Amino acid sequence: MKIYESSVRKPVSTILIFVGVIVFGLFSLQRLSVDLYPDMDVPYIMVFTQYSGASAADIETNITRRLEDNLNTVSNLKKLQSTSSDNFSLVSLQFEWGTNLDEASNDIRDVVSRVEQYLPEDAERPTIMKIDMNMIPVMFLSVTANESFPALGKLLDDGVANPLNRIDGVGSVSIGGALTREIQVNLDPVKMDAYNLTIEQIGQIIGSENLNMPAGTMDIGSGTFSIRSEGEFHESDEIKKLVVSRLGGNTVLMSDVAEVKDTVRKVTQEQLIDGKLGAQIIIQKESGANPVDVSKAVRSEIPNLVKALPPDVKIDILIDTSEFIEDSINSLSETVMLAFLFVILVILFFLGRWRATFIIVLTIPVSLVTAFIYLFATDGSLNIISLSSISIAIGMVVDDAIVVLENITKHIERGSSPREAAIYGTNEVWLAVIASTLTVIAVFFPLTMVGGMAGILFKQLGWIVCVVIGVSLVAAVTLTPMLAAKLLRFQQVGHTYKGLGVLFKPIDKFLDSLDNGYARILTWSVRHRAFLLICSIVIFISSIFVMMQVPSEFMPKTDDGQISATIEMEMGRGLEYTKKITNEITEYIQNNFPEIESVSTSTGAADGSNFWGALGTSGSHVISITMRCVDATDRERDIFLMADLMRERFNTIPEIVKSTVTVGDNGFGSGADVEVKVFGYDFETSGNFAGELMTKMQVINGVRDLRLSREDMKSEYRVVFDREKLALYGLNSATASTFIRNRINGLIASLYREDGDEFDIVVRYDEKFRESIEDIENIKIYSSTGQAVRVKDVGSVVEYFSPPSIEREDRQRVISVQMSLYGAALGTVVEEINTILDQTEMPEGINVAIGGAAEEQAESFGDMGTLLILIILLVFIVMATQFESFLMPFIIMFSLPFAFSGVFLALFITNTTLSLIALIGSIMLVGIVVKNGIVMVDFTNLLRERGLTVNRAVIEAGKSRLRPVLMTTLTTILGMFPLALGLGNGSEIWQPMGIAVIGGLVFSTILTLVVIPVVYSVFCNRSLKRKKKRIIQYED
Amino acid sequence: MKAVFIAYNKALTEAIDSVLDRNHIRGYTKVTDVQGRGTHSGEPHLGSHTWPSMNSAILTVIEEERVKPLLESLKKLDAKAEQQGLRAFVWNVEDMI
Repeated sequence: MKIYESSVRKPVSTILIFVGVIVFGLFSLQRLSVDLYPDMDVPYIMVFTQYSGASAADIETNITRRLEDNLNTVSNLKKLQSTSSDNFSLVSLQFEWGTNLDEASNDIRDVVSRVEQYLPEDAERPTIMKIDMNMIPVMFLSVTANESFPALGKLLDDGVANPLNRIDGVGSVSIGGALTREIQVNLDPVKMDAYNLTIEQIGQIIGSENLNMPAGTMDIGSGTFSIRSEGEFHESDEIKKLVVSRLGGNTVLMSDVAEVKDTVRKVTQEQLIDGKLGAQIIIQKESGANPVDVSKAVRSEIPNLVKALPPDVKIDILIDTSEFIEDSINSLSETVMLAFLFVILVILFFLGRWRATFIIVLTIPVSLVTAFIYLFATDGSLNIISLSSISIAIGMVVDDAIVVLENITKHIERGSSPREAAIYGTNEVWLAVIASTLTVIAVFFPLTMVGGMAGILFKQLGWIVCVVIGVSLVAAVTLTPMLAAKLLRFQQVGHTYKGLGVLFKPIDKFLDSLDNGYARILTWSVRHRAFLLICSIVIFISSIFVMMQVPSEFMPKTDDGQISATIEMEMGRGLEYTKKITNEITEYIQNNFPEIESVSTSTGAADGSNFWGALGTSGSHVISITMRCVDATDRERDIFLMADLMRERFNTIPEIVKSTVTVGDNGFGSGADVEVKVFGYDFETSGNFAGELMTKMQVINGVRDLRLSREDMKSEYRVVFDREKLALYGLNSATASTFIRNRINGLIASLYREDGDEFDIVVRYDEKFRESIEDIENIKIYSSTGQAVRVKDVGSVVEYFSPPSIEREDRQRVISVQMSLYGAALGTVVEEINTILDQTEMPEGINVAIGGAAEEQAESFGDMGTLLILIILLVFIVMATQFESFLMPFIIMFSLPFAFSGVFLALFITNTTLSLIALIGSIMLVGIVVKNGIVMVDFTNLLRERGLTVNRAVIEAGKSRLRPVLMTTLTTILGMFPLALGLGNGSEIWQPMGIAVIGGLVFSTILTLVVIPVVYSVFCNRSLKRKKKRIIQYED
Repeated sequence: MKAVFIAYNKALTEAIDSVLDRNHIRGYTKVTDVQGRGTHSGEPHLGSHTWPSMNSAILTVIEEERVKPLLESLKKLDAKAEQQGLRAFVWNVEDMI
């Protein structure tokens, strides 16, 4: 017994199996977590090596190059980049997307351990670091306070960070911008000289006074008591009363030589939230935790925490990444529901029967829930890729059921009982249904095999559509006949128009006239074949011109409501100066952009000496600004326009040397849109050439924020010791520099303890004694014999420009010209850059390559090209086996060029760029468009075998297949319609796909309805004539 | 005794079965999935791509007086759905065991 027969005969089992599928699907749906994108490893691993005291060039030769030469052999490596600066080397390895990073880091560890022995002895061991998506914070909270501000650090630590850390899923909570308490002992060098004291001695005194020590136990009578001597300070004022010297019998107190201040650490970084002083709390999630859940828990906890804080402390949510996720998922869910509704309406419109519509529509939920089961089984999540895939599939899952039900209805109209009609009706078409489903799978299955970043995006799309379409096929040959047998009634040909059915009367009339009109067009067309063919060729060729007008782009940019900017003043500007500019900018933003909800600025470096400080641009001359706008639907200007207005303004502020405004970075591709990399060993030649290119590129339309990747030279003061002189006093560089460091940076003498917290006691020169070069020169260094000597006697202080760090890519020195774009497409700009490069004469030893998002675009577009060829081939194979002919698939494929014409026309009209997403839409079209052709050609073949002439068969087939073709096409088009409208937050990503598919389908369907029959009649008449000739020859 | 040969569209299987039951005909020989086409009109039933439907055939040997009612019911069935295809032929049975 065939599967459809048993399902008709066993309706209870059939219905229960599908009920089971739905229940399991809903169960999976409930368990699925929500995320923005499918899980992916960012394929970067970094190797960080510190070599104190070495210059950038030394680091390059001794560390970076050795590491690079060996790391180059690691498998799956895509790009090798490095930065060598003073004191450290950073090699970053970029792998192919989808590489197993655990394996890769093992390989790297092997290589590093092999190279280690060849590295300089004083260099520290290289550290291997993976970039983890979990390191990207989930939430940023902003905290503002008035009178409690100085104590904010401790308040937040105890009152917010610790409780938040206890929430399930919260990985780490860090506080930035809050002040830290510090006990400062600011010494006066003149007075110290007078009393013959040094900072080191004072530090030692503080350290030995601030001490508790157990002294053992003692038996007194029958009891045992422990003895403790307590010297620890109970309050910071005690330090003032410390005796530091008893010179000449006089007691010298600390307050005589120093000012002791219980204050806060001098800020090197300052956070401003909406222009007010504040702190930021950064929340990261545990690996594997769901960002939406974490942020929900944090949100609900905050009101409780605020109650315990002083009333002037206010906590706001600055950035909540989960908000965008939730918004996008919600708007996509709406899209899916809307698509569902549209599809129901289309089916009802064409069939005019409630029962039949119900039977077909039921396949939608049944097959879509399997997507959830698939996601649950593969540990996937509900994200914009998986939901869009469902939205894409919704219009296609009904196609099989439509074909099956149509044939069953035909049998019923001929007089079979619904039960028999269900079995025999399905029997007649099930092979054809399988074949047409195979063509769709032939398109979507290769998507699961795409590599690179596109692979991450389209893997889920491919699998979900394959699974859903596969299940819809099963449902079409089991559930549909079963329901048809149970629900359909015996009826004569035609609609009764009873009850509500009367509404269908005008629709039916309209559809009939459409059938007849189309038949007339076809009759005319087969008589004017040559004319029509020429027309269609002309249309196709003219569409190529349209194609050249459509600009290309890598990924559509999304308006996620976040704008960030980095602004640089002149190198070496102090914090106070930068703060003035920060206030100016904040005011400008608040006055001119009411759409911006909050502005948070951070100025200066948190701690210049740590690794992260070394990695990014930071310093007291840098301002970074993060802005959050209201929802995209609640404002008129998009972030791109706002960013451009800001750029214009920043360019007019004379104090700003360099500014970059970043928007719509959706996490893919590198920060810069286009990067022109100039490779060359010689610093000056490459630097000058890059500068020359930059000047030339300024004229390109839409290019913004042009900048060079190489940092400007940093000015610094260097103390250069004369070793001979040092030796004369029994000193060496190390001891001498420690003396200088203790006086300027300070010496942490001890820790002051209060309520279980510890604060540094820092001893150093008072600020007014460390303000000039003379101050450094006058610092006294003491030799081991106690002899004092000034810095200027053993060395000199010189101003120095430290050379910029050396950047390398693929083992060559590189400097890149980076830019952002506004209102210009990536492809167009790249073309213009190429013309500039062609016109520019390149100096010797210089190579140029284009990178950034442009590089990714070139790569993935190439991948898509290969994919398209593969898919066309696969579809051809499926069709050729189905028709057992080379000619038929060839005829059907004639509709493909028009589909592409339609895509470009639609993109052109809607002013959309050809992005990776639009390309995927066009690739999907191959399967969808060909399906229409199969339906037409199959039926024409059938009619010819039934004895009709070629032309007659073409017209008759067209007339009878018009409705199914229109119906399946319209369900797909309207299923995509909500996507193409781009409703809600984050919908911009898939909009081009919707537009491409709708454009391609509309255009190709209209044309294929005429062109395919014409081409069919041309080819078949010819082959028929040839056959006749052969028969005649044979008979002769 | 007469032999009645009924060739019919498979889609009528249930209807034919019930006709035989109503006429109290117990014995028959049934051949499923046979091909055939009518002399004058109707679609061929060939099980091919062109003509996908198939016939079944029943050969039943019954008493002479039961032939008429059987043919009448079959005729009624055929009239109800002419496009399906249903034919019956009767001939003599010479001998049997």
